[in-house]
This record gives sequence, structure tokens and C-alpha cells, in this order.
Amino acid sequence: MSWNHLRFFVSYLIKYRIGVGLGILALLLTDFAGLAVPWILKEFVDFLPRSPSQIDLLGFAGLLFAAASIQATGRFGWRKYLFGSSRRVEFDILNRVFGHFLILDRPFFQRLRIGDLMSRATNDLRAVRDFMGLGLLILVDSAVVISACFILMTVINPSLAFWVLLPLPLVSILFFSYVETISRRHREVQEHLSVITERVRENIAGIRVLHSFVQEEHEKEKFRELCREYIIRNLRVTRLFGVFTPALVFTIGISGLISLWIGGRAVIEGSMTLGDFVAFNGYLMQLSWPMMGVGYIINLSQRGLVAVSRIDEILSAEPVIRDRAGAVDPGTLEGGIEFRDVSFTYPAAASPSLIGIDLRVNPGQKLAVTGLIGSGKSTLALLIPRLYEVEEGAILVDGRPVTDYPLERLRRDIGYVEQNPFLFSATLRENIALERPDATREEIDEVIENAGLVPDLARFPEGLDTVVGERGVSLSGGQKQRVALARALIKKPRILILDDAFSSLDAETEEIILKRIHTQVRGITTLIITHRLPVVRDADQIIVLDRGTIMERGTHDELMRVGGLYARTCRNQALAREMEITLQ
Amino acid sequence: MSDLNRESLRDIYKDWGLFGRILGYLKPYGFLVTAVIVILFVVSLLNLAGPYLTKIVIDDHIRPSKMEGVDRIALLYLAVLLASFGGQFLQTYLIQFIGQKVMFDLRTQVFAHLHKMSFSFFDRNPIGKVVTRVVNDVEVLNEMLTSGLILIFNDLFTLAGIFCIMFYLDWRLTGVVCLVFPFLYWATQAYRVRARDALRKNRAHVSGLNTFLEENLAGMSTVQMFGREEAHYERFLSIHREKLHEDLRSLQYNALYVPSIDLFNSVGVGLVIWFGGGRFVQEEIQLGVLVAFLQYLQKFFDPVRDMAEKFNIIQTAMVSSERIFELLDTPEEIANPPAPLPVRSVKGEVEFEKVWFAYTDERWVLKDISFSIREGESLAIVGATGSGKSTLINTLCRFYDIQKGAIRIDGMPIQQMRKEDLRRNLALVQQDVYLFSGNVLDNIRLGNRNLGIEEVETIAQAVNSHQFIDRLPYKYEHEIREGGESLSMGQRQLLSFARALAADPRILILDEATSSVDTETEIQIQSAMRQLIQGRTSLIIAHRLSTLKHVDKVLVLKNGEIAEYGTQKELLAKKGIFHKLHSLQAQSHI
Repeated sequence: MSWNHLRFFVSYLIKYRIGVGLGILALLLTDFAGLAVPWILKEFVDFLPRSPSQIDLLGFAGLLFAAASIQATGRFGWRKYLFGSSRRVEFDILNRVFGHFLILDRPFFQRLRIGDLMSRATNDLRAVRDFMGLGLLILVDSAVVISACFILMTVINPSLAFWVLLPLPLVSILFFSYVETISRRHREVQEHLSVITERVRENIAGIRVLHSFVQEEHEKEKFRELCREYIIRNLRVTRLFGVFTPALVFTIGISGLISLWIGGRAVIEGSMTLGDFVAFNGYLMQLSWPMMGVGYIINLSQRGLVAVSRIDEILSAEPVIRDRAGAVDPGTLEGGIEFRDVSFTYPAAASPSLIGIDLRVNPGQKLAVTGLIGSGKSTLALLIPRLYEVEEGAILVDGRPVTDYPLERLRRDIGYVEQNPFLFSATLRENIALERPDATREEIDEVIENAGLVPDLARFPEGLDTVVGERGVSLSGGQKQRVALARALIKKPRILILDDAFSSLDAETEEIILKRIHTQVRGITTLIITHRLPVVRDADQIIVLDRGTIMERGTHDELMRVGGLYARTCRNQALAREMEITLQ
Repeated sequence: MSDLNRESLRDIYKDWGLFGRILGYLKPYGFLVTAVIVILFVVSLLNLAGPYLTKIVIDDHIRPSKMEGVDRIALLYLAVLLASFGGQFLQTYLIQFIGQKVMFDLRTQVFAHLHKMSFSFFDRNPIGKVVTRVVNDVEVLNEMLTSGLILIFNDLFTLAGIFCIMFYLDWRLTGVVCLVFPFLYWATQAYRVRARDALRKNRAHVSGLNTFLEENLAGMSTVQMFGREEAHYERFLSIHREKLHEDLRSLQYNALYVPSIDLFNSVGVGLVIWFGGGRFVQEEIQLGVLVAFLQYLQKFFDPVRDMAEKFNIIQTAMVSSERIFELLDTPEEIANPPAPLPVRSVKGEVEFEKVWFAYTDERWVLKDISFSIREGESLAIVGATGSGKSTLINTLCRFYDIQKGAIRIDGMPIQQMRKEDLRRNLALVQQDVYLFSGNVLDNIRLGNRNLGIEEVETIAQAVNSHQFIDRLPYKYEHEIREGGESLSMGQRQLLSFARALAADPRILILDEATSSVDTETEIQIQSAMRQLIQGRTSLIIAHRLSTLKHVDKVLVLKNGEIAEYGTQKELLAKKGIFHKLHSLQAQSHI
């Protein structure tokens, strides 16, 4: 329950101070009108023995109705303004969280899982909203009602008030002994729900494997285990609250008993009127709800603060990769790439993925990168558009370190096509025109043509308006890869990185596509990571990576003459291609 | 207005159906639920006893000014308080306990049901949506059970109890109070219809919002690489605004309705003061009765207000339960036979007889496929993309059911086996390997949890995985992150081989990866594959010429039909497609 988390709330309270202020005002109105009711009843009871006339009675009824009307109006007001503000705060926070997701980088998303992030953005946010709305309401309400009742009871009969209120400090003792434990237990519940979420997600993602290995029962058992633990954690919270709230009610009851005992005597002795006694008890009864409210507040605020700390973890995460102060946009890139003694180790990895890479690609040139398992090919590609940040050495684009460019420039002029591209559940057109929703029909047609998608589109009844299922499930691997290429091409990039981008296509199609890119897009620098060597024969430069270092380097002919890994692989693959052709 | 009414009638009907179904989940805990209701009844009685005891003290002791007997009442009061304390604790705990149990049952049931769904179900439904069903919707339902449904009994008891007491105190005054009820009913109806509409729309927006959020989290790199941050933020904002709009609308209804109860309340109190005060003056009624009556009347409207609050929770839960039940009602497309053949361990004979299969309608993907493999034999399936190779494998695993013909293992049709028995005897190595979060060890022994570390090591060595696993920071204990991102394609492939070997199946089905691994690994994979098919019936979708060398039989698929099929020798004599492939292979060895 640190000050930081409270400050988080306070900043939103200040933003919605008018709504919150009106809400609190309305709440005060409600409370005071509510407090007036026992007073009116007291007057009524004391007045009764004096044989009131019909008019007097109507007067009391009217007074009561007036008080109730004010109360009702106030209730409407705080509901609308206090709860309304809490909804708006929720709205703001979620927008802020989403906005912050958009600037966070890969290292962050590798640390926290999607299931967990979703849980924070939904379950935790709800807890925050409840705290802002209900919590604030009960806080103000309890404070006002409790203090007003104390005062009024003291006004009616100070000594009786003293005796009656004596047991109440018990409540605060309860309060302080529970706070710590409750907050810890709440956190345990919320964390466990995240674990459950993640488990379900993973089960669905890997369902094909689980079924082919007949793991349903095992997974169900593991899931039951998780759910059982969830019950235990929830009940731990319940046990505390199960005691807390009844204890408050009990305390009030004891006060009632004292009031009956001492107050009753006072009435008989004549030191107190019956009306006073009725009103006194009325106020005492009004205390029971705000007293329970105290318990509720602890619950809400604990949950709220835990939730805020979890949301704040997202909001306070700083992207490592961002625009450096004073980064100047030099305009469209030319496309030259240079690596100067670059070494790179992934966060939390034991060994480096790239060691001392020196490399130079002139604008318009074609670089092919190939190599063994885990040799660092993809890492090399990821560093150019700054998806990860280099720590040793430097990567230069057009002679300037990539860190000196605004990210937007780099990413606009670099097209990056992955092996497993992510498509959005939208139409093909929207996926292709992702970067440029304003692209003309001609521009789209052109990239479709260049990506070799024309025959595929002809097979979809709705053509470009075909909706792709979530993450492109309704498309084949090869189709997804070409859609990804098309959406990269429509950016008119100056540097095109193809990271094993056509692995699901046959070699022939890949070659056609690559040729087309080079004839259609003039002067584009391409970096092709591939295992299919025949398709990169004509590259200006070919490098073979091994465990993070460049092992072979040269043109196709040079490498074939050397007779190393490249030459061997190349010959094997030529053969495989023949096979494919035979089968067609 | 009338439209709204008709709509609501149908909804009410549906809601009651759902309601009944939710109540069904309480059945196993019938005893506990009964106990809770009894406790609730007692607690509400105990809570009502307070004002009544006060009335007795006023009328019998304070007004006549005799204090003897008050101590007995005070003791009674204390007993009531203690009982109420115990009752409330028990009530809170039991309600939560039941809620948690029901949530457990429901969640594990939904989870188990998910595992019965066919693959086409997961093709159709986004992961985020399904996860929401299992996690959030169940959570909402629990909230409804614990703070809604069961506690409604509390309100109903209190309501009935107060009404009875008021009726007992003075039936005429109660009659006067009843004048308010028609108006209360009318207000409630007007509120319910509108609030339901707003809440439902709100839920739909929430679901859309979550789907969008999930998708963006999963594809964040893409969003950023394509500079879509702003556009997606705008999209998010527009969905979110609609949600807020409905949020505020339902809030508005609630804000109007709940205070209206206060007004009805005060009208009631006013009527009692006017009417009851008059009767006191005429000495038809005692003062204590009037005071008690007023106190009860003020309490009378609390449960009504409470139920209005619960209506929100229940409405939200209705939508959630609707979605959960919709999932639970999705039929199992590929079910186990009612009387399955007993299968323990098969020998491994595989036979396809005149098999026809189409994913949709009559667009046949497999046409009249017949072949057979004897125990321990290996068959390579070759064919161009889209020729039906993967489909053939999917039908053998019974991920989809064939429309015509028969697939038999050891002469038994696979439809007559339990799916689990069938799959236990098969191991499928897919092109794209899915790794689970957990360590390497658990990923390897996925199909056989009983293996010890030494056995797993032996297996890994056999399929050339040991080498790279040994280089991982924690070796076999190395934690694999979601989807195995830290491993390369080739490493994942080798791991999946180890996984298949660990399952030690009689029949191995292998979808050879196309070109995602480099040559060095290729060699490792090839030798691992030879290890794997050793002594097992194997079906291999071959993408490599070299693979063909090691198999007994070859099947060439073309557009879903068998173009060539036979032993290597037979096919060579035929001088067809396989012959061509074979001569290519021969050239490579020059």
C-alpha cells in the first residue's frame, strides 16, 4: 500500500474532480437527508402524546417526504457522478494501458505473457474501477455517517453516547490486524488466476499435439489441480472476511444492547425522553451499514491496490528501444547497411548470439544470409529495424548509427517479412494495406501481383474482401507468407528483409517472386535469410553464419570454388528441387 | 415500448431456462445449499429480532416504567447477537465454498469439453474468445452465485419476514403501505427491460474489446513494424467508446431506479405517519407498535434495493452463462463409439480401403484411396502441395472422420476404437512443432510421463537431440518459454522426434519438415529419422529424395488420387514418377 499507488488514484481523482466533487456533494446531501429522518421521527414520537391534529400529521408526513426526496435526488446524483467517474477512469486507464502496450518493445513482451497481460487489463482493471467507484463512495459515506451519528448521539445524550460507542474501537483493532494478511491473500488469488488463464491459453494453442499424444486426461488433471489450489486461495480470503463483517455487526449489536440497558433506565428515570431514545437507537442502527462498509472498503482497497500495482507494472515499464533524444529524420533512406563489430546477447541468455559481425551492403545490393541452426541469422535481421538494441559495436544505415534515426523512419523504410507472419483478423485488403489504408486499387493490385497472390485470390469467392480468421488460420502457410510480403511491399521499403519468408512455398515460386521484386522495385536493398541456396545464386554477397560469426563470405561462384558448407548444401538442394518438379 | 416488452418476454423465457441450468450446478451441493438457506433464514430472523425486542422494552418496560425483566430481554438480545455472529460467518463461508465448488465444476467441465472439440472448432474460434469463456465468464458466474443468487434468498426472507411482522403488528397499516406496490412494480418493469438491453450490448462490446486487445498483444511486433500504433489506438478507442456509452447508459437507468425506491419508501412512511398517527390519537394503536412499524417499514425497502443491485450482477452473469452453455452445447463432432473394441497394443498393420474424404460437401480431397502396410513396414507418401498428403494423415489419426470407405488397424476399423486407444498407438510428428512451457524433459516425455532422466537421455541421444540439449544452460531442466521461441526450428524438430520416440508407438506418422532446417541439421534429422522408424510401422510424408531410400513402399498422390503405389522394386519397373525420382537420387550420388 505504497504512496505511489495511492498517487495513481489521486491523479485520476484530480482529473475528474468535477464529477467526483458533484458525486461527493450529492452523497453528502443523501447522508444528511438520511440523518434527518430519525430526527423527524423523534419529533413525531415526542409530539404524539400531545394529540396532534390531522394537519400536524400531514406536516410530519410532508417533512419526511421532503427529506426522502432530497435523499433520492442525492442518490441519483452520486450514482451518476461517482460511478460515472469511475467508469471514465477505467476507460482512461485501459486506454493508457493499451497506448503503453503500443510503445513497449519485444523484451517486455517476452517477459510477460499475453494471458497475464490480458488478466491485468481485464480482471485487475475491474478491481481498480470498483475501488474508485464503490470504494470512494463507501469511504465518504462511512466517514460522514459515522461522524454525524457520533455527533448527533452525543447531542441527544452525551453519557449514553460514551457508553454505547465504547465497544467500537474494537473495530479498528480488527482492521489493523487484518489489513496485511488480506492484501497478501488477495494478491495470491489474483496471481493464481493469471496462471490459470495462461494454462488454458497454452492448452488451446497446443491442442493438436496434446491430442495426438493422448494427453487430455493428464492435462485435465493438471488443470483440476490448479483449480483446486484456486479454491484454497479464495477460501483463505473468505475465512478472514467471514469473521470480519459479522464481527462488525456484532460490535454494533453490543452497542445496541448497552443503549437499551442504560438508555431504557434513563427514560424511566426521566432524564431522557422516549423520542430521544427512539432517535438515539435510530442513529445507532444507521451505524451498522457504514461499519460493515469499513470491512468492504478494506476488501475493495486491498484488491484495488494490488491491482494497481499490477497495472502500474505495465505502465511503468520503459521501452528500452525508443527514439534517442535529438534523433533527426534525414528523410527516405538510401538503403546502405553496415555492421561494425557487432556482438549481441539476448536478455537472460547465457551465450551471445552474434559475435564481432562486420558487414557492408551497398544500397540496391542483395545480401543472402545462410547458416546452421541457431547461428544468429534471424538475430542479425532483427537488429536492423531495432527490434532489439545492439550493445556492442554499431549498426549503420546510410552511414549513420540506427540509434540516431527516429524509429518511425527506420520502420517505414524497412520491410521485414518473418517466417511466421502475424495476420490480423480482418479482410485480406486490410491486412495488405496495413501500413497504408489509403492505398489505391492499383497499388494493391501491384503488390498482389509482385507477391504472386493473384491465383490464390481468384480462388477466394470474396477476393480481397475475404476475412482472414484469427492470426490467419484460414490461410495456408504459403498464403500467409505472401500476404506478409505484399503488406511489406506496399510500404515501398528501401530495405527489404526476408527472414526465411518463403519457407512454405516451393522453390520455383520463391524464385519467381524474388526476381519480380528485383525488377519491379528498383534500387531496393534486400537481405534474404534462407536455407534454399539456389534461389540466392545471384546475390551480390552471400554470408554463411556459424554460432554467431561469419564463416564463409563471397559470391556464389566464389563460395562454390571454396567448396565449403555452402557448396555442399547447394548441390544437395539442387537435387531436391528436381524432385519437386518431377512430382508436379 | 410494446416491442421492448415482447423482446423482454422472450428473453425472460430464455433467462429462466439458463437460470434453471445454473441452479442445476448447485444440485450436488443440495445439502449445503439447504443448510445455507436455513442459516440465512435464521440470520434474517435474528436481525429482525432487534427492533422487536426494542418494541417490547418500550411498550412493556419503559412506558409502564418497570425495569424488572429488562435484564432477561438484554440477555436474549446478547444471545441473538452471538447466534447472528456465528450464523453470518457460517453463511459467508458456506456461500463462498459452494460458489468455489461450482466454479471448479464448471471450469473443469468447460476445460474438459474443449478437449472434446474437433480441430475445425479451434480453426473457427479465436484463442482469446475461448480463454475468456473458461476464465472470465466462469468467474462472473461465481460472482453471481456468491453475491447474487444465494443472497437473494436472504432478501426474500427478509422481505417476507418484515411483511409478516408488519401484518401482525397492524394489518390495516400494512394495507395502507400496500398502496405503493403497484407503482414500485411498474418502475421495476420499466427499469428491467432497459437495463437488460444496455447490459447485453455492453457485454458484447467488452468481448469485442478483449478480442482486439488480445490480437494486438500477440501481433505487437507487426503493429510496430508497420507503424500502425496510432491507427490501432484509434480503433481501440472507438470500440472502447461504444462500451463506455453502454456502461453509462446502464448506470443511468440504475441511478434513476434505485432512488425511486427511496421515494416509494418515504411515501409509505408518510402514509403510515398520517394514517397511523391519526389512529394513535384515537387510541386504536399503541405507540410501541407505531414506532416498531415505522422501523420495520424503513427496513422493508432495503431488500428491494438490494435486489435491484443484484439484478445487474445477475444480468451480466446471464450473458456469461449463455456463452458458457453455448460452448458446452457445441456437440463433439468426432465421438467415441458407444461400444468400442478393446484395444491394448496393436501390431501395426494399417489399411486404407476405398477411402473418400472431403472437408466440406463433396469437394473430395481424398478419392478412393486404398493401400496397406504390414507390421514394421514403412511407407513414404509423396505428392505436390495440395495433393492430400496431410489430409490422409489427419484421417488416420481420426482428427476428421472419413465419409466413405474404411481405415483399419490390425483389421479393426478405427471408428470402432476409442480415439484415445487409437492415438496411443500412433505417434504424430508434425511439421510445425509445438513446445509447451515447462522444461525440456517434460516436453520430451509428453506421451510417457513415467520415463526417468536416464531413459530420456538415451532417447535424446538416439535422435541426435542430446548434443544441443546438453549445451543449454540447464540442460534437460532448461525451461522452454511459450511456443519454444528460444529454440531454433531444427532443434524443435529434433525435440519432437525425441518426443515421438519417448511415446514408443507401434505406428509412426511423420510429416517431414520442408525447408526450415539447414543441411547440417538435415543430416542429423535424417539419421534420427532412421532411428525412429526402426521396427515400427511408419508413414512418412517425404519431401526429401534421400528419405525415399529408407522406406519399403512408396505412394505417389496426385490431386487426392493414387498415381503410383507399390514397393520400390515394383515402381522402378513401372518407369513412372517414382522412377524419375529415383534416377534423380542416383545422380546425387555421383
